[in-house]
Amino acid sequence: MPRRRHKRPLLRYLLLAGVLGIAALAAYVVHLDITIREQFEGKRWALPARVYASPLELYPGLKLSPAQLAEELTALDYRYGPSTETGHYLRGDSWVEVGVRPFVFWDGPQPAVRLRVTFAGGRVQALENAATGEPLPLARLDPLPIGGIYPAQNEDRVLVKLEQVPEALVDALIAMEDRNFYRHHGIDPRGIARALLANLRAGDAVQGGSTLTQQLVKNFYLSAERTLRRKAVEAIMAVLLDAHYEKDEILEAYVNEIYLGQDGNRAIHGFGLAAQFYFERPLERLSLPEAALLVALVKGPSYYDPRRHPQRALERRNLVHAELLEQNEITSAAYLRAKSAPLGVAPRAPIGTTPYPAFLSLVHRQLRRDYSDTDLRSEGLRIFTTLDPRVQRAAEAALSARLAALERQRRLPENGLEGAVIVTASDSGEVLALVGGRQPRYEGFNRALDARRQIGSLIKPALYLTALSRPEDYTLVTRLDDGPLSWSEPGVEWTPQNYDKQFHGEVPLAEALAKSYNVAAARLGLHLGLPAVIETASRLGIERPLPEYGSTLLGTVALSPFEVAQMYQTLASGGFRTPLRAIREVLTPEGVPLKRYPLSLSQVVDPAAAFLTTTALQQAVREGTGSSLRAWLPPELNVAGKTGTTDDLRDSWFAGFTGDKLAVVWVGRDDNKPTGLTGASGALTVWGRLMASLDPAPLDPPVPESIEFVRIDPQTGLRAGSGCDNAVEVPFARGSAPSEQAPCSREAPVKSWFRRLFE
Amino acid sequence: MKHLRHSVLAALVLLGGCATFPPPEAPPPEPSARENSAVVALMQNAREEVGAGRLAAAAANIERALRIEPRNATLWHELARINLHQGQPARAAQFAAKSNALAGEDLALRAANWRLIGQARTQEGDHAGAEAAFAEAAALDRRR
Repeated sequence: MPRRRHKRPLLRYLLLAGVLGIAALAAYVVHLDITIREQFEGKRWALPARVYASPLELYPGLKLSPAQLAEELTALDYRYGPSTETGHYLRGDSWVEVGVRPFVFWDGPQPAVRLRVTFAGGRVQALENAATGEPLPLARLDPLPIGGIYPAQNEDRVLVKLEQVPEALVDALIAMEDRNFYRHHGIDPRGIARALLANLRAGDAVQGGSTLTQQLVKNFYLSAERTLRRKAVEAIMAVLLDAHYEKDEILEAYVNEIYLGQDGNRAIHGFGLAAQFYFERPLERLSLPEAALLVALVKGPSYYDPRRHPQRALERRNLVHAELLEQNEITSAAYLRAKSAPLGVAPRAPIGTTPYPAFLSLVHRQLRRDYSDTDLRSEGLRIFTTLDPRVQRAAEAALSARLAALERQRRLPENGLEGAVIVTASDSGEVLALVGGRQPRYEGFNRALDARRQIGSLIKPALYLTALSRPEDYTLVTRLDDGPLSWSEPGVEWTPQNYDKQFHGEVPLAEALAKSYNVAAARLGLHLGLPAVIETASRLGIERPLPEYGSTLLGTVALSPFEVAQMYQTLASGGFRTPLRAIREVLTPEGVPLKRYPLSLSQVVDPAAAFLTTTALQQAVREGTGSSLRAWLPPELNVAGKTGTTDDLRDSWFAGFTGDKLAVVWVGRDDNKPTGLTGASGALTVWGRLMASLDPAPLDPPVPESIEFVRIDPQTGLRAGSGCDNAVEVPFARGSAPSEQAPCSREAPVKSWFRRLFE
Repeated sequence: MKHLRHSVLAALVLLGGCATFPPPEAPPPEPSARENSAVVALMQNAREEVGAGRLAAAAANIERALRIEPRNATLWHELARINLHQGQPARAAQFAAKSNALAGEDLALRAANWRLIGQARTQEGDHAGAEAAFAEAAALDRRR
């Protein structure tokens, strides 16, 4: 009895211990379950907003050559070749035929179409559906994807949905890494056995026994630890994950999570980013051998790094091809083609997830007014923007080429100069291009938006516009005094100087602006009154309050290139202010329109005054400070523009517009040291090269009804009669032209004497 | 050139002005909506969208056409009309003003713009302003 008594507690203890052990294990499993589900859910729903450039619209009459269209198609990853599939094109001397991909636009889905474009005289002549021969009034290509807006902890990802992943990649992945993926329960004992066998046979580790689910779990922890305990934990988690989620959900997470390379201290995770990192193209567009290479990397991204070990990478890639052939996923013809394809890896890794980080940051800022960051980074919104890739490329090329050339010609230190460019559509205010620095791929300081620099003479149009809004006092021929001026305001004695250190006496108002005389401008500004000039600047669109000091008249205010563009936009569109816009539409991931950013404008300036100011700015380019533009552009374009130069040549600016485009360029140094460049010798050359490559429309501003043209004798600024040889047509606000006849007029003595009686 | 001369001459007659010189050469007017098949097609789309009550889509079509022909006064007028339908009188009046700035010799279009501005002002409760706009329209109609 006592013994039995004695035995019972022992058994009970053992039982208790067992129960406790199981309970502890269960608790641990529950803990693992919670952990792995949190990890999984946290990654799964974060679908970034996808951002697209403006689509290329094709229509009869569009200025475009077959070569230019081919260039656009190449940028969109269309391939040259006789295939009639979408995504391929063919080209002749005067035609292009292209299988346009289907795309869901704001106004609905556009189906795939075989499009034939014919050209004549440098323009598109006709469009037709090549399959039916039906003529088309217009067609647009699918837009270029330019990046995404990513979760903060995940900035550097290109998240993709499973549908976006090429089938060949999924097939290859399953063939190489986990053949039983769709059949097992998270772990695959048979797979392990097979791998073991294969490795024994090869005498090397050619296959791993981990399922994709186990690999995913391992990636969540980003730990290289390889203990038995870790393996056990991973196995339990894999089983749990498999129990909770569909196979495709797990696969989608895997595709976005797997580690595929290293770029300095930046880890490349997910096939989306890897496609960009190795091939500079979206995952959807990868060919079979490219997809196979990415799958080859799964096993050891550093060992098979195609940039450092191309031979190893090639061998493993072809192993993937062989595996696909063996499993009948590809034909032997496709196998042979794929096998002989080069690696095709881009020589240098692109820096970020978008080629246009400066523009993307503008998009992000404008979106933040309407959407929370969480929505932008997780709801998978589709954002359609105004970026014109052609203009963007031209702006980047112009800036980097000109800065390098300026440094060479002027023996300036290499890479000391920086710059920014913004290009907009004159009438709509759409931002076509934004360059934040001379390394446009690098997401660094965005000078176009955030570099606030003194604008110098770029302020002057606000001043002259104020004057020309008072036609009873000021016209383009009104004489301004450019004689010495000194003026004091509390604390400062002020004696403005001209750039050439000369005084020019009496000068016509238009010439004072065209030649950018500071003294005449300062005197004019003081007459008009600072508040009036500041008022005009704010109407034009400068939102920042300007200080009421005389120095404001000479441009000591500091603005960003973007703010300057907003101001000049109002002049370029004839006195209608239009907020500069980077976004057109926002759609849900399913393609349902969510929000439009419609065009809006408001007439803020008298049209006559805007017209006259533009005329003077055209004179500035024809014969004033902007005249060196003729080295870049034909005079018939009638460009209106203004140079800006600041003290000690620290900032070089040019702002100007053609009939269809406005651009602002800033050149300077980040440390604000002198550059030795004026507006004309620096920024203007960037502007000129940029516009020359865009073939802009000539500027012919519509003449407001309140404007009349009167012949004026330039010598005196008086009305010219029949005897005046050099008379010029000058626009005036109706009724404001001088009534007095110039001495050269034959009718002068009588008439002017007669008129004086009545004045 | 013709339209400029016409309007200058007309204005001079109105002002009872004295002798002057011919105005400078003006460029030929922008090809009208009728000449560009893409713009015609987009305007047609826009009208269909208006008919179906999808005003935002209609406006998007007009904006797409304006990217092709930003200085087409008829397109700006259409955009003004759509905005008026959308209950955006202030925006509509601004688009009509933009259309007017580009309309040149097209007196009928300018009169239509002024009538639209009149309607917009009426919607906004500015009856005196509306009267003035309708008077402008009537004056333009008389000049036709």
